[in-house]
Amino acid sequence: MSSVQTPVAPVSSSAARLAGNDTVDLVGVRKCYDEFVAVDDLSLNVRPSGIYGLLGPNGAGKTSTIRMLMGITVPDAGRITVFGEPLARAHMDQFGYLPEERGLYKKMKVLEHLVFLGQLKGLSSAEATQRANRWCERFELTAWTGKKVEELSKGMQQKVQFIGAVLHDPRLIIMDEPFTGLDPANAVVLKDVLLEMAKSGKTILLSTHRMDQVERLCQSICLINHGRAVLEGDLNQIKARYGRHNVQIKYDGDARFLQEKRLVESFNDYGNYVEIHLASSADPQELLHLASANARLDKFELMEPSLEEIFIDVVGRSNA
Amino acid sequence: MRNTWIILKREYLERVRSRTFLVLTILAPAIMTALMILPAKLATMGDKPQHFVIVASTQQFGEMVRQQLLSEPMGSEEAEGDSSEASRKPEDQYVIDVDTSSTEVERASLRDKVSNREIDGFLWLTDDAIAGHRVDWDTREMAGSREKSWIGDAVNRILQRQELAKAGLNSAQTQELLTPVKVESVRIERGREAKGSGSGRFLEIVVMVMLIYVAVLLYGISVMRSVLEEKTSRIIEVLLSSASSTELMTGKLLGVGAVGLTQIVVWTVMAGVIALPSLATQASFSELQLSPLVMISFVLYFLFGYLLYSTMYATIGAITTTEQEGQQLQFLIVMPLVLSVFMLMPVLRTPDSAVVVWLSMVPFFAPIVMYARIVVQTPPIWQIALSLVLMVATIAGLVVLCARIYRIGVLIYGKRPTLPEIIKWLKYANA
Repeated sequence: MSSVQTPVAPVSSSAARLAGNDTVDLVGVRKCYDEFVAVDDLSLNVRPSGIYGLLGPNGAGKTSTIRMLMGITVPDAGRITVFGEPLARAHMDQFGYLPEERGLYKKMKVLEHLVFLGQLKGLSSAEATQRANRWCERFELTAWTGKKVEELSKGMQQKVQFIGAVLHDPRLIIMDEPFTGLDPANAVVLKDVLLEMAKSGKTILLSTHRMDQVERLCQSICLINHGRAVLEGDLNQIKARYGRHNVQIKYDGDARFLQEKRLVESFNDYGNYVEIHLASSADPQELLHLASANARLDKFELMEPSLEEIFIDVVGRSNA
Repeated sequence: MRNTWIILKREYLERVRSRTFLVLTILAPAIMTALMILPAKLATMGDKPQHFVIVASTQQFGEMVRQQLLSEPMGSEEAEGDSSEASRKPEDQYVIDVDTSSTEVERASLRDKVSNREIDGFLWLTDDAIAGHRVDWDTREMAGSREKSWIGDAVNRILQRQELAKAGLNSAQTQELLTPVKVESVRIERGREAKGSGSGRFLEIVVMVMLIYVAVLLYGISVMRSVLEEKTSRIIEVLLSSASSTELMTGKLLGVGAVGLTQIVVWTVMAGVIALPSLATQASFSELQLSPLVMISFVLYFLFGYLLYSTMYATIGAITTTEQEGQQLQFLIVMPLVLSVFMLMPVLRTPDSAVVVWLSMVPFFAPIVMYARIVVQTPPIWQIALSLVLMVATIAGLVVLCARIYRIGVLIYGKRPTLPEIIKWLKYANA
């Protein structure tokens, strides 16, 4: 009460790190809508090049974070830095954005629409046309470039939207749930494109609640729950920290070993195989003996924890 | 600037290629032409001559009244400019018989004939009736005042002439005495007699009102729809990641404005090529006598009025979440338009009264009220300038307001925001 406080953003652990070469740096960011706190003291660093996963259950604050990053909303507190500078409108032309809810002008023709989006990002009409045609080829949309958007299927529209987001060759690509609505074949095409871009030095911020994708694609992650980062950093390091407490077993016969509480903390039956989370001090070898004594084993594999497990574990703990 | 231009271009092309544009471009002049030509055509077309019977005590008296009626057909006094009725010969308009059998039986049979549509009416003009100062005019419909005074004037004229002749005046003297003084209305513009009759002036205003109405209703709604579409389709998020909301709104409205301008140009060309030669023969049209000031102000007030109302539509689109809701709020836009039309009568009567002057400054009324003032009587230039400045300022203010609401619209799902919420957003968007 007595001292005059300067409006300084809350200092958090990541503020101590050097932010210089990070593509995106959030420090103590907070965003409220009325009473509801959507993002609370969130800090994260996205390193240049590679795919960064923004993870979290529904309503965790992923989209709110992205919207602040896109300058659509302004944080109530905290600091956002991109390419080493405070976030400004001028950065937007170096961003590619695929929002969670896709939107295109339904009455516009595909190519015209792409050129329009490209021009808004600073491309010349000719350049945008050329690039749009190249991308459409890659996504097998060439036959549709003259059609109106509304004549396309949902999946095709999504591909158009993706092209619109990357047409101007952005340094930072922000994708909110890019794979939803795509069939497996197109999901593979998109995945390949994303990996390719990551390899060529682009930075991709991928927001999703699909753990399997993150696990396969991302080098670093930030796990958000209730607007706070509960886990952030290099994916391999995170996994290593959690140790090899998981066993995948494919078996035929007696499943009594699963009930051994001394060894098995929990298990998840996937039908074809079971995934077992070992009790904290359990020896995997002991489980192997026990299982092979009663059942015929086709596979016994000591595994890194899946991100899903880490997620459930961390979210479960942070909710508690 | 660049973004605004790109958006302007998109909005313009989308609209110019749309069916609405085509329909409006072709249909509006067609309707307008029809409105100007049809009433005149209707008045002359298909009318078979009206058949009247004059029942008089003497053939001579009946004949005199008949001649008088035919020499000054109904409405001939007002119809100076209105050529349609005057152009027909009275003999083609009326067939008038004289009947001297003034019995009650004859009266009854004439009434039957009127009912059976054999004749259109009869005038009971017997000496008894004249002596009683009451003459019956029997028709199927109640006679209008024009018709009554036409007949009354004719009968009185003959009676007066007869009385004057009895008093010893010769026919030249009688004629001199009975010729009425005509009142000629002269409009003064900048100290000189101005050309153009009231009906021509009125037409200029009606054309303006119609054009603004049609353009605002059709394109205004399309602006509202496009704002709503951007919100519901969520393309707004992609757009806002590329351009500021003010750029988006400005581009959108300028695009819409360019469509309006295109429309005027197309119409002008069409009028010049097709409509004018045929319309020029219409008396009321040839009296338009468009002065350069009126033409310039027509373009300016049409454009700014159209932009202003389109901006209002855009704002409604930004506030609401569905088209139905938007249409419920449309009265906010239609109301000032309707009010301006109601104001036209006082404006035409007293174009320089203080109330009218200040009403014509109000941006929402100016396109119609100020334009009407310019047409009937050139107001001081500062008033015109002020009204234009106020309109432009209002448009700019609304664009900024609308852009802010639009920006916040990204975050809205579901219900329409309340007024306090909108005010809160405006503050919020400031941050």
